[in-house]
Amino acid sequence: MPLLELHKAVSAYGKVEALKGLSLHVEEGEIVALLGANGAGKSTTLRTISGLMKPQSGSILFRGRAIGGLSPEAVVKLGIAHVPEGRRVFPGLTVRENIVLGASNRRKVPRGELDADAARMFAIFPELKKFENALGWTLSGGQQQMVAIARGLMSHPKLLLLDEPSLGLAPLIVQQVYKVIAEIRREGTTVLLVEQNAHMALSVADRGYVLETGRLVAEGKPEALWSNDDVRAAYLGGRNAGG
Amino acid sequence: MTGGLATTTAPAITSTSARALGGVAYLALAATAVGLAHFTPLPAYWLNLLMQASTYAIAVLGLTIVLGYGGQINLAQAAFFGLGAYSVALGTTTFALPFFPSLFVGVGLAALAGAVLGLTSLRLGGHYLAMVTISFQTIAALVLTNWVSLTRGPDGVTDIKRPVLFHNYFASSGHYLAVSIAILFIVGYGVWHLKKTKLGRAMQAVRDNELAAGVVGVDTYRIKVTAFTLSALLGGIGGGLFAGGFAYISPDQFTFNESVVFLTMALLGGSRSPVGTVLGTGLLILLPEWLRFLKTIYLAVYGCAVILIMVFMPEGIWGFVTALWRKLNPARPIQAGKIAPLPLTQEVGQADGSTILEVSGLAKYFGGLKAVDGVGLTIKRNTVHALIGPNGSGKTTMLNVLSGIYRPTKGAVVLEQLDITNLAPHERAGHGMGRTFQNIRLFGAMSVLDNVMVGAERPNHAVAGKSAGLVRHALAALDFVGLAERAHLQVGSLSYGHQRLVEIARALAGTPKLLLLDEPGAGLNHVEKAELVGLLKRLKGHGLTIFIIDHDMNLVEQVAEHITVLNFGRRIADGTPSDVLRDPEVVAAYLGEVRANAAS
Amino acid sequence: MGFALQLLFTGIGVGSIYALVALGFVLIYRTTNVVNFAQGDFAMLGAFGMVVLAIDLELPYWLSIAITLAALLLFGALFNLCVYYPLRNRSFLPGIISTIGASIFLENGVLAAYGPHPQSLPGMFASQGFNIGEVFFDSQYLLILAVTVAMVTLQYLFFERTLLGKKMQATSQDKEMASLLGIPVAWMIVLTFVYSAMLGGLAGVLVAPILFVSVGMGSSIALKAFAASIIGGFGNVTGAIVGGLALGVVETFGAAYLSVPYKDAFAFLVLFVFLLFRPQGMFGEKIAEKA
Repeated sequence: MPLLELHKAVSAYGKVEALKGLSLHVEEGEIVALLGANGAGKSTTLRTISGLMKPQSGSILFRGRAIGGLSPEAVVKLGIAHVPEGRRVFPGLTVRENIVLGASNRRKVPRGELDADAARMFAIFPELKKFENALGWTLSGGQQQMVAIARGLMSHPKLLLLDEPSLGLAPLIVQQVYKVIAEIRREGTTVLLVEQNAHMALSVADRGYVLETGRLVAEGKPEALWSNDDVRAAYLGGRNAGG
Repeated sequence: MTGGLATTTAPAITSTSARALGGVAYLALAATAVGLAHFTPLPAYWLNLLMQASTYAIAVLGLTIVLGYGGQINLAQAAFFGLGAYSVALGTTTFALPFFPSLFVGVGLAALAGAVLGLTSLRLGGHYLAMVTISFQTIAALVLTNWVSLTRGPDGVTDIKRPVLFHNYFASSGHYLAVSIAILFIVGYGVWHLKKTKLGRAMQAVRDNELAAGVVGVDTYRIKVTAFTLSALLGGIGGGLFAGGFAYISPDQFTFNESVVFLTMALLGGSRSPVGTVLGTGLLILLPEWLRFLKTIYLAVYGCAVILIMVFMPEGIWGFVTALWRKLNPARPIQAGKIAPLPLTQEVGQADGSTILEVSGLAKYFGGLKAVDGVGLTIKRNTVHALIGPNGSGKTTMLNVLSGIYRPTKGAVVLEQLDITNLAPHERAGHGMGRTFQNIRLFGAMSVLDNVMVGAERPNHAVAGKSAGLVRHALAALDFVGLAERAHLQVGSLSYGHQRLVEIARALAGTPKLLLLDEPGAGLNHVEKAELVGLLKRLKGHGLTIFIIDHDMNLVEQVAEHITVLNFGRRIADGTPSDVLRDPEVVAAYLGEVRANAAS
Repeated sequence: MGFALQLLFTGIGVGSIYALVALGFVLIYRTTNVVNFAQGDFAMLGAFGMVVLAIDLELPYWLSIAITLAALLLFGALFNLCVYYPLRNRSFLPGIISTIGASIFLENGVLAAYGPHPQSLPGMFASQGFNIGEVFFDSQYLLILAVTVAMVTLQYLFFERTLLGKKMQATSQDKEMASLLGIPVAWMIVLTFVYSAMLGGLAGVLVAPILFVSVGMGSSIALKAFAASIIGGFGNVTGAIVGGLALGVVETFGAAYLSVPYKDAFAFLVLFVFLLFRPQGMFGEKIAEKA
């Protein structure tokens, strides 16, 4: 049984369908990359899984249980953490407060355990330690991204949904973030990754899906996708010019 | 009346016979109402109710303009109403002036107060505007009560005179009512007609999407002030007539509570249509009478009703009815006949390699974030110039600076020798800069045609033949993108792909010298994208200069002659597509550094 | 000098009431983006609750206070359910109008039940107060000051020191993100309404002995509290408190030195000046725009 399975999921903003019957699956322990152009429906897929959007039809199964239509609060309690695009660090709370709030889905966590978990996050992201008491809005993009990931991990997720973790980050920082993603998986968390940085994403992923306007156009192993002309064309052009 | 007004959001071209029929019906209704008031001897009770209803309705029509069309809140309508009323009251008593000069003074004062209030507060909007209008309302009520030497204080003004013209025609309350109703019908027609004028369309554009309205060429601030002033003016007319009708007024008739009553009337009936407004006014004046059996709690019930209306009928009764009507009788496509080709460029064929837009050292910082950091580029006339770069590289910020939404931190933008660096968006539109948005910004509650007409009505844009010519021009722009047969629909009901095309048509309708496109391909499938490429090629063929942002390299490569690449707000490459796309730095920015492989 | 000090004392007392109501305003605005025009009516309800319980039913004063505040806690939840919740996904205008409707309902409901005659309520203490030099310290004003200081301190501790307070802050900063973390956003909003209603009620309980208890008392307090929160910087907690105090002082001095009938106009004149020259208020926007 796959950890997560979408079957013909349809999601819409008002009258505009953003997912037009998407089917995909994520196995336990995998890193799966979701690729595609802007507006292809990548973020919508994550939003639909995490409960921010209600699917209009189709099913979403998490460990065999239907979760389509549950509230975000309920979904994260089941073990799916969503780190949305743009990081969304609470601007008026400190780094530490942001991170600690990541455990809000867990019931009655003793203060000591919370502190221990937070300490673990600071061990994974050592450079956050010195900003522990800085307000969210004062951080750089890279630091915010790390806070956002740490906050997601605090919920002890079985499945981590990451939306464009490299957005607006300098190459060195992107490398750091990706090291952490690889590490997260080694520790047993499954990751569904939305990326615009295709090479970066496929370099850590076990499998990938390519979306176009809410539909699947390709799927497979990174090498296969990488040599797929459609995928390359979507990112770098060249289908017509032969470059 | 309903015949003419039921199709208020229908496009401007309805068949002339239907229009004439509506006009005749409206005139007949007006004549009947005025005639009844003139000839029927009504009991004083009904006279008073109708007098109140007709004068209130005129003031509430002001809210149709400012709130319904312009989308701005006004919680001081009772104060403007009071200015009109007190001018007539004190003018005809203390100052011994005739009625009409007093009324003119009152209307003038109300409009002036509205203009001053609007000029000072409409840059803020939202709850600030609510608060400023409440403050004005509160101060006005205090002055009316406390400036006893002028206003006679809480006791109010008695013995207010009516006009003595026409052998004292107005001495009969029935006759006075007949004239009030006639004025109501005239004002009602004016407000209904306003919706279909350039000014009315601009107001609705501001209401539906202020940012887009500015970029399309609407001077949003001026339009808001105009709407606010007109609203105050109508408040003044209503108040002046009210004072003459009742011959007695007191400050407690012009308090904040009364402003809330005016607002509720507009909302209950449906603030976007004058029919709704008048309906709401009538209902809320009669409702307390009908609810008399509830005695003391009727106002409490009334408060409940307000909440229930907001929850269940957000567009008011008339909005609800028209929505139902439109469901049962869908609007028919516009019979436009043969559509002439769209004149796309003002001066043809200047593909001489001259510069149309020169950007130098452009920078935009948000606090410490350098979203755009010293970018220079040159756009040549009659070319397609693309701006690409990874997400978050500053492309959209760049476009926002170019179209005037953001003021740059540093640098200059020159459009054809004209330094536009510090011009507002609508001024840039007036100089021939058109644009579309990544997350489509249309005027959602307006028809497709009206959306495009707003684009054609940009400053300095001459369309031959005034109103009919304007419609023809807008239809030509829609025809160019292949949507002429959908011109009559409400734009919000179109599919995503079609909304994108309407946005392009709106920009084209202004005959831009330079068209800025922000990710026109986002969210389109490959069929729609192929169509978009075709459209862009046709535009290029017509000699239009286009500056395009897109992620789809395939698309960019097919249309662009020149590419500038941004990364982290800086220009990392600039040149022909083949050169730029082979640039190792560009490849790395796009696909991720090959060496930066975290899994290995 | 003594007179001026006296005015300052009175002004700060009156200003504390504005601050308490403004605080409720700001908390609701921050979590829901709704400007609650019925906030002052919470105070009116609090004052009438005291009249009913302490005078009509002759319950002990402290018990009356306890029951009134408890009733307002419940009322806050009810208000959330009926007035805010059905409109939570709509733009700000329907929200504002809905609260205006609620305000009309409450004022006229109480009017129907209690009639138009203003009621009066004795203070909590038998003693009127005491003199220090030329300044008379009225016991009710002292109580108002003490309670305001206590509430502000408690609220500060709650938001800064407890996890629940942090969750409420997170909710007000980014509701969608808060829900993604498993914070029960709907309950946080209920809690905000409950607390704000209680704050408003408390202001009413405190102010009742120094004003006449009337149906219209709520809206006049609310308008000034609203003005105070804009002067302080809309949406800012510190701003609401400082703005409220400043307004109370300005109003008291204005009434004493300039004009009594126009006492209520001073607040709005100050507001006008701020809106024209410093619309972001004294404490501006502290948190920069999200990048």
